[in-house]
Amino acid sequence: MTSNTEAQLQGLRDRALRIRRGVWRALYAAGSGHVGGSCSAADVLAALYFHHLRVRPEQPDWPERDRFVLSKGHANAALAAVLAQAGFIKEDLLDRFYGYDSPLGMHPDIKVAGVEMSTGGLGHGLSVGIGMALGARLQGQDFRTCVMIGDGELQEGSNWEAAMAAAQMGLSNLTAIVDYNKIQQGDRVEKTVDLDPLADKWRAFGWAVREIDGHDMAEVVDALDSLPLVPDKPSMLIAHTIKGKGVSFAEDTYLWHSNAVTVEIYKQALAELGDPE
Amino acid sequence: MTETGAPSWVEAADSQTRLGFGLALTEIAGNDESVVAISADTVDLIGLRGFLQRFPDRLIEAGIAEQNAMGIASGLATTGMRPFVCGYAPFITARSMEQLRNDVAYANQRVVIGAAASGVSLGVAGGTHHALEDLALTRSLPNMTVVVPADAHQAWHATHATRDIDGPVYLRLGGRMAEPAVTPVDGPFRLGKADTLREGSDVTVVACGCMVEPALRAAAALADKGLSARVLNMHTIKPLDRAALLAAAAETRGIVAAEEHHLAGGLGGAVAELLAEHHPTRMKFVAMPDEFAIVGPTDKVRERHGMSARHIEEACLALCA
Repeated sequence: MTSNTEAQLQGLRDRALRIRRGVWRALYAAGSGHVGGSCSAADVLAALYFHHLRVRPEQPDWPERDRFVLSKGHANAALAAVLAQAGFIKEDLLDRFYGYDSPLGMHPDIKVAGVEMSTGGLGHGLSVGIGMALGARLQGQDFRTCVMIGDGELQEGSNWEAAMAAAQMGLSNLTAIVDYNKIQQGDRVEKTVDLDPLADKWRAFGWAVREIDGHDMAEVVDALDSLPLVPDKPSMLIAHTIKGKGVSFAEDTYLWHSNAVTVEIYKQALAELGDPE
Repeated sequence: MTETGAPSWVEAADSQTRLGFGLALTEIAGNDESVVAISADTVDLIGLRGFLQRFPDRLIEAGIAEQNAMGIASGLATTGMRPFVCGYAPFITARSMEQLRNDVAYANQRVVIGAAASGVSLGVAGGTHHALEDLALTRSLPNMTVVVPADAHQAWHATHATRDIDGPVYLRLGGRMAEPAVTPVDGPFRLGKADTLREGSDVTVVACGCMVEPALRAAAALADKGLSARVLNMHTIKPLDRAALLAAAAETRGIVAAEEHHLAGGLGGAVAELLAEHHPTRMKFVAMPDEFAIVGPTDKVRERHGMSARHIEEACLALCA
């Protein structure tokens, strides 16, 4: 396990803050959007793109790159923000979020540099990730595949088909991360169709599982540095997060799963996020 | 080659499109290390036992989980592999339709779907196991190529031809029964170009898959009655052979579309969509009506629901009356 200095961790926290500002910027441009699940994922995305994933923004189709699939495609504002920050796409593209014929709609499009799969229909990403991980194995390549899944999304049965298969195949080059913010579109997950005991479910399905605080950068980085958690098994990181993290009025409420972003709300959000401008 | 001079795969295919596909896939895998088969517990359905023996690492068994199988295929394709996902036509389309739409067609990945046991080939299995809407589902998706081989020969050649298709392909295959040969052993299969199996000037039968052979029998019967019926094997449902259809519309008195598929959304619908706009033509449809099929032996189920040589002949006579 590598030790990460406090300066490195602070750098990643700053990256996450910039992702959140980017999310609000994009969704203000859009007029509305999925603030909650984008902001809950920001810290993990910062650690992935600026610490863990081997990618080349200047060569997005580099064959040996690590693959990241955002199965919870409605958090595309966060993906776009991190891809812009990493240099895959231009930052001012965020101002065209939801725009007419824009490459950035509500959900990721594989035609955008850095986007590995068009997602949005829930319960798709993990199967696609299995295919990518198999592609690496069959071609003798050592790239890794990471799939971020939403919690409500796990109500889709296709995830559990994929969970069984990935374990059967012993895909240690595959990692899934659940952004467990506990809230879905219409209510809390536990009041809709409960997932708990979530870690036990994944262990029972044959995965190595670790639970982390998805907003504690040291924990997130340490978990990513520990991959694969065990040899010959796919790894599951259950990241406990807060929906809408970073802006007080948007936190931990289903009302901010998706909501309108007016100029007043945008200014309040940026003030809380310490907008340098 | 066998004693008769035919390639050895011909005998092994046993006049079945599903086996023609599986044998071709196994041969392709021997020539191209990027080829990978994904099974939904359908190794024997597709005739992939030989593939499994020769290339065990490249046969991915997804189990009875079509959604996962389709998603895996898409992910494999993004890494430069050539995945062929194999399953039962009723399940590998309808069950995994969203994965087919989003992960394969929308993301425009080079995935070939080999769908066996289509139509009412599983006659005794009942409506849960009939695939009479798969052409409607697949041809309505942008980026898709949709092919219905008419016999095992054509299945073999069409499977090889997927090499040159830069996008997803749906190959509709038959069940565990002999399908009479109507195309030559050596092809050729020309994607998007109908085979004119019989010239004719009075009426045209446009057929696909297992309805091509009955179309030829109907044409022979019509000849005895003094009517000249053209028979087009429209093996490629998408993209349609517009030139052949517009010529048939111009040169004959009407068109009968014959398929083992619901009337809604299949070959007949595709032909009508073209001709209604570009060359309005009298048409008759030999297809599954808007009902679920009875249980029974396949040939009797086809006959009962109006999909037979007799029905094609009657439709032609009605158009020429």
